[in-house]
Amino acid sequence: MNNRVRELRTELGWSQADLGERLDVSRQTVNAIETGKYDPSLPLAFKIARLFSLPIESIFTPEA
Amino acid sequence: MAMRAVHKRYLREFFPAMAGYVVLIFASVSWLKTLDGTLARTVVTLLPVIPIAFVIRAMIRVIRDQDELERRIDLEAIAIAGALGGFGFFSYGLLLNAKVLAAPEPAAVAIWVFPILMGLFGITKCGIRLYYRTHE
Repeated sequence: MNNRVRELRTELGWSQADLGERLDVSRQTVNAIETGKYDPSLPLAFKIARLFSLPIESIFTPEA
Repeated sequence: MAMRAVHKRYLREFFPAMAGYVVLIFASVSWLKTLDGTLARTVVTLLPVIPIAFVIRAMIRVIRDQDELERRIDLEAIAIAGALGGFGFFSYGLLLNAKVLAAPEPAAVAIWVFPILMGLFGITKCGIRLYYRTHE
């Protein structure tokens, strides 16, 4: 799955640790999501979408 | 980077339990030298197991309360370590059965099962964490 988490995070000037704190996950987890190594669970994906005030499908898209 | 609360709690629970284990193992070994009676020896021998139960409790609590990727890494590591450990002990058992290796005391083999499992868990966890860390 592709995602725009890194792009959205940097737009807000947050570090991975900042985002991790807001999502209550580790910085390593944020990094793994951003690099596509790990696809978040549905609850975490919704939490990310809520945090960025965007629909989930505009952040996460299936790989072509 | 600051340690997350869930891991601070784990260390707060893990280290006192391990310290208790070290104290009780020395106390138990020393006490057993002068102790007679099966029941008394059983109780004193198993005393160091009590803090290990607290270590396991701390591990279960951290696995349940950490975030989803951390939990996945731990569970993958436990599964792989269990498989490797089981495979290793099974192979060792076959070699002992074929008398290719000199048979050790049964107690020596049984005592090493848990430490080997934990050691393999640690090594495997490092490898899996490294996989998720690449391409930062």
